[in-house]
Amino acid sequence: MANTVIGSSIVIDGEISGDEDLVIQGTVKGKISLKESLYVEGSGVVEADIETQNVEIAGRVTGNIVASDKVELKTDCRVVGDIKAPRILIADGASFKGNVDMDMKER
Amino acid sequence: MATPKELSGSNDVNNTVVGPSILISGRLTGDEDLTVRGRVEGELTLSRTLIVEPSGVVKANVAVRNAIVSGVVVGNINATESVELTREGRMVGDIHAPRVIIVDGASFRGRVDMGDVEPGRLPSQRPVVARPAAPVTRPSTAPARPSAPPARPTTPPPARPTAPVATTRPAPAPTVTMPARPASKPLPPPPPPRVEPRPVAPPVEPASAEPPTPFALGAGAKKKVVVKKKTR
Repeated sequence: MANTVIGSSIVIDGEISGDEDLVIQGTVKGKISLKESLYVEGSGVVEADIETQNVEIAGRVTGNIVASDKVELKTDCRVVGDIKAPRILIADGASFKGNVDMDMKER
Repeated sequence: MATPKELSGSNDVNNTVVGPSILISGRLTGDEDLTVRGRVEGELTLSRTLIVEPSGVVKANVAVRNAIVSGVVVGNINATESVELTREGRMVGDIHAPRVIIVDGASFRGRVDMGDVEPGRLPSQRPVVARPAAPVTRPSTAPARPSAPPARPTTPPPARPTAPVATTRPAPAPTVTMPARPASKPLPPPPPPRVEPRPVAPPVEPASAEPPTPFALGAGAKKKVVVKKKTR
């Protein structure tokens, strides 16, 4: 699988879209929309609205997250924003501030 | 071709990749190598190497240290070290870099400016290229320069502004221009024989006459290259 990695020294201010997995170790501001998974690693900083299928966050995210499948907040992550996804996992140690919407109505 | 190896070898960390289905639009900055297999639009600033792979498309103004283009670049590239257009590279835009390598098969439309070549490297390479053509230079320019005959390295810069079209520097050009040279028609540079008498003449003239020639040659050759690529 082709993999896209945004390295730790990279700063992107704008929009990222695509059909493949994206790993963020650097900084992204703006908007991210993917049809696959987004991984925000420990060094990653995202200040963006996120629209994907899956999100795994170990770094810092500020912005609203909408996932069609799953959002996972890992230990040591810091997330501020609203999360909307059918499955949301928050691990022990994660810090999160915002609304959670698991879309109960549609189920 | 040694260049890509050198470059990637010296940078052990090459961890940023933009995959083939990814579109990034906006500003991208960083201090590490970037490999583009997808699309990047907007502005791209790196302190290291940009590699545009064959599937990659960059529509951006690019400022990097090195750029290796095997894909498509639309926009200007400003590199502090080198820009290489490989066999598969296609580019429209201006290149500003001390070293510009355009390999056979590459397509390019735009201007090339190698203006910032370090003086240290240039003189060592230039004589080979420039001297045979030295006498060709318009004598008209000679009178103006004798005032600073010893300053051979310093003469090129003043000459450049006067001839903006002739942005190309001859030094790294050989690889690029070789194929074009036989066909090239730079000004009227017929009298290589005259070379012999001149050196004997006052030292002032050769010294002042040399710098301009690269332009005649370089400009002619470069134009040739550009034209060639266009037609492909």
